[in-house]
Amino acid sequence: MSYEIKLEVFEGPFDLLLHLIERNQLNIYDIPIALVTDQFLAYIQTMQMLNLTVAGEFLVVAATLMQIKARMLLPKPPPVTLDETEEEEEDPRSELVERLVEYKKFKEAALELRRREEEFSRFYPRVGGEFPDQVIAPVEDPGGGISIWDLLEAFQAVLDSFTPRPELKGMPKEEISIKERMNDILSRLMLHGRMVFSQLVEGVTTRKGLITTFLALLELIRLKRIRAAQDRPFGEIAITTFGEGETVESQ
Amino acid sequence: MNLNKARAVIEALVFASSEPIRLREIAEITGIHEHTVKQLLSDLIAEYNQETKGIRIVEVAQGYQFMTNPACADYVEKLHQTPRNVGLSPAAIETLAIIAYKQPITRAEIEALRGVRVDSAITTLLERGLIREAGRKDAPGRPILYGTTQKFLQYFGLNDLRELPALEDWTTMANEPGQDGEDKSETKQEAEPE
Repeated sequence: MSYEIKLEVFEGPFDLLLHLIERNQLNIYDIPIALVTDQFLAYIQTMQMLNLTVAGEFLVVAATLMQIKARMLLPKPPPVTLDETEEEEEDPRSELVERLVEYKKFKEAALELRRREEEFSRFYPRVGGEFPDQVIAPVEDPGGGISIWDLLEAFQAVLDSFTPRPELKGMPKEEISIKERMNDILSRLMLHGRMVFSQLVEGVTTRKGLITTFLALLELIRLKRIRAAQDRPFGEIAITTFGEGETVESQ
Repeated sequence: MNLNKARAVIEALVFASSEPIRLREIAEITGIHEHTVKQLLSDLIAEYNQETKGIRIVEVAQGYQFMTNPACADYVEKLHQTPRNVGLSPAAIETLAIIAYKQPITRAEIEALRGVRVDSAITTLLERGLIREAGRKDAPGRPILYGTTQKFLQYFGLNDLRELPALEDWTTMANEPGQDGEDKSETKQEAEPE
C-alpha cells in the first residue's frame, strides 16, 4: 500500500497574510489589497493542488479580502459640503488590519516562548524530579526558521517554470509513491550532504511527480528527518539531513 | 546554626526536593529568615555557576532546583536517550502564548485571535500539562476557560508570568532595537499552583 499522508496546514489565514506583508515589505496599516488578495488566492490554490487540508477560515478571509478590494474600487461619494460634521470615511481595511496587528503581537510573543523553550531545554533536572516532559531534547527547528509559506512559495516557483516532458509511447508509466520518494530523497541527501530544492526535482518529468516530491519533502520535515533552511531571505531552500541513515518505515 | 551549616542545609534541601523548592518552604524547615535564605542561595548559585561544574541551581517557577549545566546537555541526552525534537509545534506555541497572556480565556476567544481552529493545539497543551481548565465562563453555553499551569513556568524557565515581556512592547521593540522593554506596567494574573 502506498504511504498515505495527510498534511494539515495548522497555520491560519492571518499567518499567511502576515507572511505576505513581510514578504513584500508592506506597511501593515496601508496594505495594497489587490496585490495581497491575488497572492493570498494563489497560495490557497497551491495548497488545494497539493491536497493539503485548507481550513475553511482561509476561504472566509479570502472572501473578506475580495470584499474589501471591491469596496476600495467603488468611487467615493462626492463630499457633502452642507454637512458640517463631516463624517470620517472609514477605511474598509481597518477591521482586518486591527485583527492582524493583534494577532502579530501574539505571534511575536510565541517567538519569545520558542526562544525560551530552546534555551531552557538544555537544562535537565535530576531524574526523579517530577516532570519527565522537562527532559526534552533541544528544539531543532525543522524549518530552519522558514515557514510553510516559504516552502509553498519555492514549490510554486518550481511549478511555474516547469514544462512536462512529452511522454514516450510504450514506456511504462512510472508511478512513484510518496514513501519511495522519501527514501529516494534521504539516500540522495546521504550522498550529497546538502541539496537545494530545485536539485531534488531534477529529472522529474511530470507534474504529479513534482507534487509527490514536494509532499515527500513536507513529510520528511514533519518527521524531523530533514531540515530546510534559507541562506538569505527569498533564497533557494537548502535541504540537509539530521544525519541518521535509516529508511522510512511504513507507518 | 552557623552560616556554613545553614548553607549546607539549604543545598541539601534543594537537592532532595523533587520539585523546585520555595524560599518560604526552606525558611519554615530551617527556621532561618527568608531574607537570609535568599542570600545564602545566591552564594550557592554563584558557587555552582562555573564552567567547571556540571550542575547549576536554577530559579524557576518561584522555586530553586538543581539542573544540569546546559553545556553538558549533549551528553545528558545520550544518557536519557531522549527522543529528539519534542518541542511544541508553531500552532501549539502560538496558542499557548495567547493563553499565557489572555488567561482565563475560552477556546472560541483564542480562535478569534488566531483566525483558525485550535482544538488539536489545546489537546496537545492539555496532554503536556502546560495548560489546564480554569473554570467556566459565565456566558451562554458556559464554555471552558483555559489558563497556564505551574509546569508551564517550569517548561519555559520562568519564575512567574510577570517575566513574560508585556505584550504591548512587542511591536515597539521590533522597531527600536536596543530598547529593552523594561516597562512592565501590565501585571498579569498568575496561574495558581494546585
